[in-house]
Amino acid sequence: MTEKRIGVYVCNCGTNIANVVDCDAVAEAAADLPGVVVSRSYKYMCSNPGQEMITQDIRDEQLERVVVAACSPRMHEPTFRRAAETAGLNPYLVQMANIREQCSWVHDAGEMATEKAKDLVRAAVYRVTRHESLERLSVDMCPHTLVLGGGIAGMSAALELADAGKRVYLVERTKALGGNVARVDLTAPYLDSARDMMTDRVTRVIEHPDVSVMLESELEKLEGFVGNFKATISHHSSGEGPPIEVVDVGSVIVCTGYKEFDASRVTHFGYGKLPDVITSFEFEGMLKQGRIEMKDGRLPQYVAIVHCVGSRSEEFHGYCSRVCCMTALKYAHEVKSALPRTYVSDVYVDMHAFGKGCEDFYRRSAEVKTLFLMYGKGDHPVVRRADPGDDCEMLITVDEQLSGEQIELPADLIILMVGMEAREDSEQVTHLVNISQDKDGWFIESHPKLDPVATTTDGVYIAGACQAPKDIPDSVAQARAAAARILGKISRGKLEIDAMFAAVNEDLCSGCRVCNEICPYSAIEFDAETKRSHVISALCKACGACVATCPSAAIEAKHFTDEQIFAEIAGVLA
Amino acid sequence: MSFEPRIVGFLCNWCSYSGADLAGTSRIHYRPNVRVIRVMCSARIDPTFVIKALAEGADGVLVCGCHPGDCHYSEGNYKTMRRMPLLKRMLEDFGIEEERVRLEWVSASEGKRFADIVDDMTERLRALGPSRVKLALAYDAVER
Repeated sequence: MTEKRIGVYVCNCGTNIANVVDCDAVAEAAADLPGVVVSRSYKYMCSNPGQEMITQDIRDEQLERVVVAACSPRMHEPTFRRAAETAGLNPYLVQMANIREQCSWVHDAGEMATEKAKDLVRAAVYRVTRHESLERLSVDMCPHTLVLGGGIAGMSAALELADAGKRVYLVERTKALGGNVARVDLTAPYLDSARDMMTDRVTRVIEHPDVSVMLESELEKLEGFVGNFKATISHHSSGEGPPIEVVDVGSVIVCTGYKEFDASRVTHFGYGKLPDVITSFEFEGMLKQGRIEMKDGRLPQYVAIVHCVGSRSEEFHGYCSRVCCMTALKYAHEVKSALPRTYVSDVYVDMHAFGKGCEDFYRRSAEVKTLFLMYGKGDHPVVRRADPGDDCEMLITVDEQLSGEQIELPADLIILMVGMEAREDSEQVTHLVNISQDKDGWFIESHPKLDPVATTTDGVYIAGACQAPKDIPDSVAQARAAAARILGKISRGKLEIDAMFAAVNEDLCSGCRVCNEICPYSAIEFDAETKRSHVISALCKACGACVATCPSAAIEAKHFTDEQIFAEIAGVLA
Repeated sequence: MSFEPRIVGFLCNWCSYSGADLAGTSRIHYRPNVRVIRVMCSARIDPTFVIKALAEGADGVLVCGCHPGDCHYSEGNYKTMRRMPLLKRMLEDFGIEEERVRLEWVSASEGKRFADIVDDMTERLRALGPSRVKLALAYDAVER
């Protein structure tokens, strides 16, 4: 192995690293490693002066390799790769040592943390010596988009793209567009009609020349890669047209929404047993019919609204469903305006009124004489049938937190604010489009703060409540953001694909075809004539499963070669 | 001075490496005995990596991937799940104790779990003492 001219940069990250790790000592130790010609410790490597330090050294010292010991490569590897590129160094000739997330932030200050940082830097130096320049692939970007789900998020994304003149295939499982929002009467906190809003959207989507609406349809298969997907869609309606259709798309937006929590899973509210205990969605239906009434047709004298049904509980879902508090206040308003003499009580745990206009809405709800009662998290009110002499149908017992008293509350109609949960078919969707789910079943975004609409699969985006409970404005914002991301890619016309993929050395390949089977992306083809396998680079996602499987060691994982990893192992243990 | 075991960790990029990063962002402290090597998928972890680490003097090797069913590459971790027990059986024949090689599933949200695993493994290896391979290497060096 010919020695390479290496620059090592140890970031102090202000005091984030330097308070625990002796950064100067790490830089000094690195200076003695083979090939290292420059080794520096600096306050903030990711800052402009920090990056300039690297680019300057690449030029002045003719560096051939760069090691940055700093935060996680998942944080700033793109930053330092770009810096190298600006100085004319291939971006793949940079290696990071993670001495923040996996060292200074998790260990006590002292010699052991500093020794660990030295080991990690040594491993990076050994590894980077064996790095190769790699060229990213450039592929065409198909300007069409597949949108899964015709709710508020799906329709918003479709319109954003179609209004920019790009073709959209909008696939919806049910017979109608609108999703869950179409089941709602008014929207909080401004009490605008959901129906007016939806009618306008649905009409525009259906009439738009660039949107192909596919109702009663499902995605069966998604093949290919960013910019070049082939989507197989099945149509279940017995109408005209073929039952299966294959379309070319460059991007996919998943907007499959949520389903409401099944209230019959909770026993203490009597849902399913007591006729006048209903869910929030059943109440929306009542509101849309224009009459708030009990099962027997009488008008309720007492209406009680119970929050957090299925949400924020240890038994069901730990998360907050975000929209129920404001929806509950909306119900209080709607009951009060339809039946001014009816008493409304609102039984809650904490009132979450964080959205724009929501705190004012909460205040106005108190002013319309809603009785607010607070129960403890982990506790729950209990509903029972009232006695014959009582002037109400049911009684709710609440251990009221603010007064510290047990209160018995009359009720004729009880509305359970059911939370949101991931749809049963979410798992199926994750397999179809190759994205992940969190522990609650919501789809996982690429970065919770900086990349909230992309996923770990390039070209597949998520928007709306399939990502986490969300209200209408947030769903729309996310949908339009995803559309904007896609439009950006389309406008560039070409896509760069990461240069990390597997490659078969056909001289070593025995043609056993084990790798053909092992590849989850069918990216390895067998050539019957040469009796050798080869990798279709653009389909390869660089997992490396085939590399570890090949009995002839004929497959190389670019940027994760055996040699590079062996060097890293030797480096941490030297 | 008490024996400080050296552990090499092979972590998949998407779940376990992110989980280890999360331990950092959550400031969950654990023993500084592990050195992590990132791979894209646990299925990339060639058994020779584990052998190489032991041969280079590691007292233990920790392999972490996404939970079954959660693999970023659909099913890579199932391959790891089958490979590692076979490797461990082979290593046992060479006299390398079962506890020296450990396979664990750590998701991107399980920073605490990663920290607990490292602490637990460090304690177990401390009780077990230095790896025989390491001792053999030391004797070799003396004889040479």
